Amino acid sequence: MTTHTDIPDTHETLDTSGLLCPLPVYKAGIVLGRLEPGQVLELICTDPGSLEDIPAMARQRGDTLVASEDQGDTQRFWIQKGAS
Amino acid sequence: MTAAVAPDLAPLETDRSLRRYEDIRQLLPDVDNPTPLVRLNHVVAGTGLTAYLKLEWLNPFGSLKDRAANYLMAGMHERGDLDGRDIVEASSGNTAIALAALAALAGKSLTVTIPSDVPEEKRTMLRMLGAEVWETPDDLCPVDHPKDGAIALARSIAAQDGGARFALANQYENEDNVRAHYETTGPEIWRQTNGQVDYFVAGFGTTGTITGVGRYLKERNPEIRVVAVEPHPGHRLPGLKSFQEAKQPGILDWGVIDDVIRVDDAAAYETTKQLHRREGLIVGPSTGAVVHGVNEIGAAGGIAVGISPDSGSKYTSYFADILGDDGRPRV
Repeated sequence: MTTHTDIPDTHETLDTSGLLCPLPVYKAGIVLGRLEPGQVLELICTDPGSLEDIPAMARQRGDTLVASEDQGDTQRFWIQKGAS
Repeated sequence: MTAAVAPDLAPLETDRSLRRYEDIRQLLPDVDNPTPLVRLNHVVAGTGLTAYLKLEWLNPFGSLKDRAANYLMAGMHERGDLDGRDIVEASSGNTAIALAALAALAGKSLTVTIPSDVPEEKRTMLRMLGAEVWETPDDLCPVDHPKDGAIALARSIAAQDGGARFALANQYENEDNVRAHYETTGPEIWRQTNGQVDYFVAGFGTTGTITGVGRYLKERNPEIRVVAVEPHPGHRLPGLKSFQEAKQPGILDWGVIDDVIRVDDAAAYETTKQLHRREGLIVGPSTGAVVHGVNEIGAAGGIAVGISPDSGSKYTSYFADILGDDGRPRV
């Protein structure tokens, strides 16, 4: 298991297990859209492509990937919504 | 071969001279019920070329894509893809509008993924037809699917639950799209021009039209020139695709295409405006791109047929942007 940085408090969790990219990216975008700036989304993925796609999505949206875990079959990401 | 028809359609027993129909699907085009060819008398003039536009916006659901949607529906029905499943498709709007109407008539629902630059008019029309609309940035999946986010999203929706919930119409890879044009649009053009057509011009999109029509016409007369119109990367011409930035569809057959003419947005919109003002043709911007392509052929003579995929009524918000103060009172 690989963990990057401390796990922050989360405001909402989205489980996209079984979904292939870009569905996790799309659904994460919808949830992040309704969070307040500074709030954190925990995103659970099983598509290996998410290891590249989720950080890229966070950069593109102006959000911050504050932590991530790669457990092999499952990846978890904690994304803090940026200022709107 | 008789054109494919959607499921549950009663045999056509319609007197066309009365223009009375028992089902909207009976208006779908075929060689005996073609969309009109209308000559361009002003916008293409002085080149020696006789040019006609095929007015696909006079199809029952408003665009060229009525043909492909009808064949896609019939193909899914025949293969049993719709047994217990609804439909998902990626579309810049027109295919989805026709699919939504046909799906509703067949008791199915449509989920559509559309690029975020699709005009509000189309998105609203889709929701009006009962479709679930997933607006998608083309660069949604920045690593794997540059510029094809809507297509990738439709695939991932279809793949959910082992494919149990949705059938993907898949116009970009489905030969039924090509067959629609090989069996209807191509034969119509051949018959409407008495086999005298010299040039066929259509835009790059799903490429079902140019591949299907091109294949049919080349089989009748290999000398016919098939010309594709392609926008530049980063364009704002809904329905058209630049294959410098988007993936080429699996159905594209380069073997039937003789030339590719590139068109920029300004030229396409200016030609669209001229088609409105000088020909009385209320067309969408992709028609302007096609007619720009007709003008760029540079032929001294012959007969050209260009495709007019849809009408301008779906793009009024775009037109407002390019018009500026044009048409407002000058006081």
